Amino acid sequence: MLQPVSVGLKLGFLIVLYLFLVWVAASTLFDLRRGLRGGGGSTVPVGEATSIHQTVDPMALLGDEEFEPRLVVEHASGHEPGVAYDLMEPVTLGRGDVELKLEDPFASTRHASITRHGRTLVLEDLGSTNGTYLNGEPVSGPQPLHVGDRIRIGDSEFTYLQ
Amino acid sequence: MRARNWELISLVPAALLVSAGFAAVYIQRANQLETVSLIYGAVFLGLCLGAHIFIRVTLPHADPFIFPLVAVLACYGLVMIYRIDGATEARVQAQWFVIGLLLFAATIVWFRDYRRLENYRYLIMTGSVVLLLLPRVPGLGVYSGGAYLAIHLPGITFQPPEFAKVGVVIFLSSYLRDHRQALASGRRILGYRIPPLKHLGPLLALWGAAMLALVVIGDIGSSLMFYGALLAIVYVATDRISFVIFGMLAFGLGSWFLATHIPHIDARIQDWLHPFNPALYSAPLGSYQLANAQFAMAAGGLFGQGFGQTLLYIPGTTNALIPFPSTDMIFSVITGDLGLFGAAGLLVTYLLFISRGFKAAMLARDSFSKLLAVGLSTVIAVQVFVIVGGVARVIPFTGVPLPFVAYGGSSILANFVLVALLLLISDRARRPLSDA
Repeated sequence: MLQPVSVGLKLGFLIVLYLFLVWVAASTLFDLRRGLRGGGGSTVPVGEATSIHQTVDPMALLGDEEFEPRLVVEHASGHEPGVAYDLMEPVTLGRGDVELKLEDPFASTRHASITRHGRTLVLEDLGSTNGTYLNGEPVSGPQPLHVGDRIRIGDSEFTYLQ
Repeated sequence: MRARNWELISLVPAALLVSAGFAAVYIQRANQLETVSLIYGAVFLGLCLGAHIFIRVTLPHADPFIFPLVAVLACYGLVMIYRIDGATEARVQAQWFVIGLLLFAATIVWFRDYRRLENYRYLIMTGSVVLLLLPRVPGLGVYSGGAYLAIHLPGITFQPPEFAKVGVVIFLSSYLRDHRQALASGRRILGYRIPPLKHLGPLLALWGAAMLALVVIGDIGSSLMFYGALLAIVYVATDRISFVIFGMLAFGLGSWFLATHIPHIDARIQDWLHPFNPALYSAPLGSYQLANAQFAMAAGGLFGQGFGQTLLYIPGTTNALIPFPSTDMIFSVITGDLGLFGAAGLLVTYLLFISRGFKAAMLARDSFSKLLAVGLSTVIAVQVFVIVGGVARVIPFTGVPLPFVAYGGSSILANFVLVALLLLISDRARRPLSDA
């Protein structure tokens, strides 16, 4: 007696489900076509399969949260431990005439640079003789910095904070 | 606010699904069910609305698709559990949804800046390992079907792997964020870059841990879940497909060795290959459940037999035809009741959910968020593959819960934490830069 109602409800369930799925899929496609943009307009880096090596967003502006990127001296000859250097402007580290001067025999004249791209700071080795170490690993190519990262050049060591 | 309005409108289909499903089940089995249980459906919808308002206030930029998709999955589960055991399990499940949504809200409030989790990564990892080993503690663990997957405390049974999977993904994302560069470098040998041994070491250790989990827990399904997440995170972190290929070969070799040397894993494989063999069918813990699930799914056909029509008990008796219909075997009951279309619709819902997770990863601006979103999405993907593949006899059967659908409290709680993290990542990623 109730059989037709039951079959109708079952088909209704399936129809609603599929309409919902088609709707979501269509909206997702629309979302993709909008030039791979998110709600805010951060562009998705293209070119690499996983796109993780390009986390720099040059459009990024500074926001309401406190953002003070700085390099804290752990130990470096000629610098007081605990002193923090501001990184809002690009900084070059080295033995020569640069923003952050290192009195370190193992440092090259222009050893490494830290540049700000929006809220991301990028460490790059400038072809130094003895290398720059990020958390104990030699740096090759630009590396985004994260809070607490340890940067070592020769015998000088710094911690990145923001 | 357009996104949030979209999210609100998408809760309408969820409402329709719950109403149609509950009404259909109620009509079928009016003599066995009281109308009171219909209220649980309504309560669930109210909760979804509440959660939506909560997201609207706290995470205004989060992906608008994720929550409605989860709501549809949860509806599916609630309707099926109401249909399987309307008297008790549906009520308990509805209660777990309430607690799950509270935990969901709590996660969003506590871990507003989820990147703080990185500071506790070794604590989280240790906690996850302890959780995974708990079922082996004598007197605490529950041994079922050859695997140690649950612990029993007075009043509740608890499935630690569900929570451990979230913890392990957080740890791996944080760990590989720091070490990905070292893994991607290394000397070229025969055209392949071999990472320095000291960096490969931890990866080999993780492979060993997955193998050990296989032996200790006795469950291929859970270890495959963890291992799949590991490989996905390693791939995204290093951009090298060779790690994935070697990783899968290593896992395959390890499982093959264990399958041929550990009797109960071998028994699982025999059940998978020959479920209709009379000797296995009638053996205790044999292929009875799996074979009957095949018949139930076949009976579903294209459009299904209708809600409540799949036989769960041998007619006239209380002997189960399909043991554990609301947990292990819920996918076979869904296929039996709603047919190929119902089952495919469920899988497409999962696919869309996972694709939204990957989308959040693509938009995320920092490496940890990217890796975390990828890991969390992959763990759900592999989990669905393991249980659906097991029921459909694509791979040997192991009982992991079908996320958001299967009956069980720990699974619901852990998965709501997972969804909360995904929404947090997506909110941060999609936030307009001017007020970032």
